[in-house]
Amino acid sequence: MAAVAASRGFGLGRPGWRARADVVRTVFLARIKIITRYKGAIFMEALLPIVFAAMPVLLGTTVASQQGVDPGKVFCDNTRVGGLCTENFKLYMLIGASTFTVVSLMMWLIGYWVRREQETGTLESLALAPARRIWVLAGVTTYAFVRAMVAFVIAIVLGSLVFQVNPFERGVPAALGFLALGLLPLWGLSFMFGAFIMKIKEADSVIQVLQWVLAFLMGVFYPITLLPPIMQGFAGLFPPTVMTDAVRASILDISYFYGSAYGSLAVLFAMALVTPLLGYELFEVTERRLRRKEGVGHY
Amino acid sequence: MISFWDMSKKKIVEFSRYPVAFIALFVQIFLIIAMFLFASLAFTPANAPPGTGRDLGATVVYGFIVGLFLSFTLWEIGFSIREEQTRGTLESLYLSPASKVSSLVARVFAILLWSGGMAVMAIVFVGAVVGGLPAANVGLALVVLLFSISGFLGIGFIFAGITIKLKETAQLLVNGLQFFFMIFSAQFFPFAALRQVSPLIVDGVSKWLPVSYCVDAFRSLLIGAEPELGLGMAAEILIVVAFGVLSPIIGYWIYKRFEAGARREGTLGEY
Repeated sequence: MAAVAASRGFGLGRPGWRARADVVRTVFLARIKIITRYKGAIFMEALLPIVFAAMPVLLGTTVASQQGVDPGKVFCDNTRVGGLCTENFKLYMLIGASTFTVVSLMMWLIGYWVRREQETGTLESLALAPARRIWVLAGVTTYAFVRAMVAFVIAIVLGSLVFQVNPFERGVPAALGFLALGLLPLWGLSFMFGAFIMKIKEADSVIQVLQWVLAFLMGVFYPITLLPPIMQGFAGLFPPTVMTDAVRASILDISYFYGSAYGSLAVLFAMALVTPLLGYELFEVTERRLRRKEGVGHY
Repeated sequence: MISFWDMSKKKIVEFSRYPVAFIALFVQIFLIIAMFLFASLAFTPANAPPGTGRDLGATVVYGFIVGLFLSFTLWEIGFSIREEQTRGTLESLYLSPASKVSSLVARVFAILLWSGGMAVMAIVFVGAVVGGLPAANVGLALVVLLFSISGFLGIGFIFAGITIKLKETAQLLVNGLQFFFMIFSAQFFPFAALRQVSPLIVDGVSKWLPVSYCVDAFRSLLIGAEPELGLGMAAEILIVVAFGVLSPIIGYWIYKRFEAGARREGTLGEY
């Protein structure tokens, strides 16, 4: 009898799985409705990777041509790892910039969501609602994921036209698999990021600097093998780096940071298991501590 | 003048409450420059002459400095109006006898001081990485930079007016304009790179942007090279000076038109 009462929540109202899915769906739809009022925002997000990729392409092309050498050949020679390299530096940059946009957008959207809820005073109300925060977070992160993927797809298609490259020649299924697997640890990183923003209460500057830290560690414009060894070690533990490296390696037929596709797959799989759980735990711990001390409404 | 100093002090106090923001800005600058330097390493042949890194570093960092001032001016003047709208203080500010010009310029004064400091740190950092940067005609380059900043104020005024009209959508425009200038004013690479893609880009777009002359003149003066836009240094400096003098006047006039429109419609405080 005691076990039955406990499993049924001691008589307290507990949302079933339909209600939880409804929470996720409602939060997701609310965020989508807001963003559809700013259609230009999604287009701008899709243009960003193309602009980011264009800058090192233009810079690198000039550097190489000033020396009278072919930029593709120089890029290949300088980035050769394990006997493999690519002369298709434009696609290399485009993939890096596009995956960076996905990562950056997810962090940005979660961080700003937490901050905006704090400022408008609705974070406390959410804490009082019977829905668990994980389902609200799931709705927000799903929205962030969808928005980021829309920008990614548009960026790849448009960027391919602008740079006259073909990302669909080889390795597309593997690349999509790595992208899909890489998004799971990204979810966890977004939760960690949200917890950090909730704690320090300064979103703008932190998001901006972390964005560039991400870009630096991910090797958006260069292989991370160009970094000093100790920084390579750090970068290799960062899920978006592994994801970007693996997507590039699949499409461009270059070497993987962890030696092979299976190596990168194994590492990314482990990250996909651990990071979301860690991320959510950190979010819960931070929120509990804030509720005990100053409340989550302070901003 | 008093209202300008008071408003600037208010901004400085506001910034000082967010120390993380200051540190974050510094870190951001270094990371952006480091990324571009690493990216350029990937394209530098192994047998490149010794001065290649130096010239490249100078091209990137000097163009970046102009871009830095432009970005901050656009955001601090243009978008801080949005902050006032959402906080509900814009209408009160406009009812006060304080000068509207001072109100706009004071927003950016503190961040321009800070940007100056960051520009110096960026030069020191890149100089340390590439083994020293060329620094010819420093005095004249600073004059060009001052007039460039003055010109950027005018663009900021225009965006402040657009923000009053378009509200949240103005953020997209500021972002778009920032990236437009980043590419077409060749902030991170020489104009020769754009010319290689198509001469029409430089002749049809870049040459019509005053910001391009600001970047080209500032960078070429410091590197000690001929400017790339084909008009000669004297002509480019003249364009920058004219931009610096006329742009704030025209920009403020456009801003007043937008502001008057919003006051007539009663939408000044709406956000």
